[in-house]
Amino acid sequence: MTAMATPAQPAPEARLRPVPWRGMTWVSWRQHRSALAGLVAVLGAAGLYLYITGMQIRHEVPVMGEMFTMSQTKLTLTPIAALFQILPALIGAFVGAPVLARELETGTFRYTWTQGFGRERWAAAKLAQIAVAVTVLAGVFGFLFSWCYEPIIGVRQGLSPLMAITFDLRGVAFAGWALVAFAIGVLAGILIRRVVPAMFATLAAWSGLAVVTGVFLRPHYETPLVTRGFNLPSAAWVMSQRWTLHGKPVSLTAVSQVLQKIGAQEVAPGVFGPTSPASGQASGNSAAFGPGGAWRSAPTYLLHHGFTQLTSYQPASRFWPFQWIEGGWLLALSVLLIAATIWLVRRDAA
Amino acid sequence: MNVIETSGLGKRYRQTWALRECTLAIPAGHVTALVGPNGAGKTTLLNLGVGLATPTAGVVTVLGGVPAGSPAALDGIAFVAQDMPLYKPLSVADMLHLTRNLNRRFDQGYALARLGELGIPLKRKAGKLSGGQQAQLALTLALARRPRLLVLDEPLANLDPLARHDFMATVMATVAEHGMSVVLSSHVLAELERVADYLILVSGGRVQVADEVDSLLSTHRILTGPASDARTREELMVVHERRAEAQAHLLVRTSGPTDPVPPGWEAHPVSLEELVLAYLREPGAAALPGPARTNNAAPTEVAR
Amino acid sequence: MTIDKGVSGSGTAEASPSPSGGGDRKKPPDGPRGSGSPIEFRLDAASGVPTYLQLVQQVEHALRLGYLKPGDQLPKVRDAVASLAINPNTVLKAYRELETKGLASGRPGQGTFIEATLSQVALPELATLHRSLLGWLASADGAGLDEDGIVALFSSALRDFFKGRDRPADRRADRKGGTEGVA
Repeated sequence: MTAMATPAQPAPEARLRPVPWRGMTWVSWRQHRSALAGLVAVLGAAGLYLYITGMQIRHEVPVMGEMFTMSQTKLTLTPIAALFQILPALIGAFVGAPVLARELETGTFRYTWTQGFGRERWAAAKLAQIAVAVTVLAGVFGFLFSWCYEPIIGVRQGLSPLMAITFDLRGVAFAGWALVAFAIGVLAGILIRRVVPAMFATLAAWSGLAVVTGVFLRPHYETPLVTRGFNLPSAAWVMSQRWTLHGKPVSLTAVSQVLQKIGAQEVAPGVFGPTSPASGQASGNSAAFGPGGAWRSAPTYLLHHGFTQLTSYQPASRFWPFQWIEGGWLLALSVLLIAATIWLVRRDAA
Repeated sequence: MNVIETSGLGKRYRQTWALRECTLAIPAGHVTALVGPNGAGKTTLLNLGVGLATPTAGVVTVLGGVPAGSPAALDGIAFVAQDMPLYKPLSVADMLHLTRNLNRRFDQGYALARLGELGIPLKRKAGKLSGGQQAQLALTLALARRPRLLVLDEPLANLDPLARHDFMATVMATVAEHGMSVVLSSHVLAELERVADYLILVSGGRVQVADEVDSLLSTHRILTGPASDARTREELMVVHERRAEAQAHLLVRTSGPTDPVPPGWEAHPVSLEELVLAYLREPGAAALPGPARTNNAAPTEVAR
Repeated sequence: MTIDKGVSGSGTAEASPSPSGGGDRKKPPDGPRGSGSPIEFRLDAASGVPTYLQLVQQVEHALRLGYLKPGDQLPKVRDAVASLAINPNTVLKAYRELETKGLASGRPGQGTFIEATLSQVALPELATLHRSLLGWLASADGAGLDEDGIVALFSSALRDFFKGRDRPADRRADRKGGTEGVA
């Protein structure tokens, strides 16, 4: 029997011209505008705070001088910086994880991935666009943070610009951390396929990466410098301090033995304290525990006895090289993770 | 042209084969009903056809030999999955805009006119529409793409009778106007009897029946006669038998309506529903183009 | 059943007596879509009669009752399908059947139009036939047949009669729900 007359079909084109990329701009924006708006709001509020604080600091530093920096550091910078540390993780969890996980969890992929656009191109367009937005916003924030605290950071020893508390909130590092958090989020999303578990996985993975970087990686971007002197360049980041005798490192116990004569001991590398009362009395030095206790002069004592203190540190001048190194590998890692995500989009959805 | 053609198609999830040795050639210009019990493999077959899943075994091509899931296939096939996936927070107008941006062809005028006829407000969020309105919106978006093949997975579940009628009326009107082919699945055959002219029965992951409805109805009949008449039964191709002490009903497959009726027996025409139920009760039986009673016939056009 | 070919072309009605008493021909209703057909199809899903056959019967019935006359347009396939939610091929099959019977013909690009009308049997003749049928029924009843038995016998005889005439309609006779074979 004859069926409905089908209209004459043209021969299928060997390669169809793909649906234009620019269509995805509206799509990405419309679907994720609340996440991006939230991001702008949070970074904007933080940015406003930074602006106000920055103006305050510039007003007061010339007046109070060094006294200001020490107290202000403790009061405003450290807790705020600690708070801002979690921003990239939040970006990864709230902006990155839902992008793909929500499609899969709600089943809308059955609509989106059967449209003419093609799911790999859709993923590539969307991830690239949001990644750029995140990176730019984070970059602006990092710049603002740097500007705000510039008079304080690095001015006095104890707060090196290379220290983790502020290093990854500034320059290109912050943008890198935000980008890699986003990349971790989208990868978690395509692997886990559920929004909330993907968010938690993102937070955990990013935090792990950040800790590992701060503790193991960043100190070794360049070989630390070693010096014998006591006067370190200002704002240097101290890696370690050890006592050596004739070029060989000396253990804590050995140092403490030597120091018994003055009733002191090395309790930790570079940290000295009084010995216990028993040994103090045995040495017959009952003045050991007085307010001007002899144990405080332990470093001088050791120096007079041929010991040398070696300090390994990273000078503050290496701030920007370290920033580029860190930003560079974070960017490479992000690109890798996002590429892996797009590749994973090709496998079975249903 | 075959809108969907498979050869030895199979799909395995973990250790279970959801679909196995599926060989089909669904011709264009038809409304094909894909029926079978829940979990029989209908959704799996549709997912393979629209490119949401990839085969574990065998091959599936669409629209005359195009690989499933390729850009040409995506362009010519519109899919409405079960539960009518839509972006619930987006408005109806946004969904239109979205679909237009993601496709090469989109008939905005048709979509707006259709939504206006149905009284679906453009500003309302898709999630706030009623079930029937969501179904019509999903269908409108699909039809506005002017596909050559429309694939619907259990489209009528969760719709009230009026919504069901309106939905199918819309689909049929588009078939009449544009010659679109349709493949739709349901586990309720009665809903599809009026619209289908090609039937595929999937049961237990295998295709049992794949043929034009007219051909099926003219090559099957019920013979009623004495239960003791074993000899007659041996000569016939009996699909399914129901029998009491004195009387038996046989669903037999013939070569046509003019086959002679064995003496002592009465012949009745069989309804599609009876036919489907009989095959479902006989997992070993099959009615496929090509040699009868085999499950792996080579894919051929139905030669009539 | 013979068919009188009316003058084809729109607007010329055949002069034939209205079957059921006086009464004007019903004017073609202007449907919401203004489809231009005087009739609309309906579907009885539970009747067991195949859909396409129901459509054929409705057209023939409309012809008998005078709702349709030669030159009228049958509902467009698209409109019939949109209101009944049936497969377009079903409507096409019905229209082809009507073409085979000589009642309608399709004009490409325009639609399907009624070409002829069923013969109108004159009222007195109808009355005579009715009376002789009642007589036959009385004999059948006297022989002991019940209603279903009478229907079966009549259907079988009807088939036999038209088989001899070799008409295409016969092939579908067994689809009308009757049984075939030895009763």
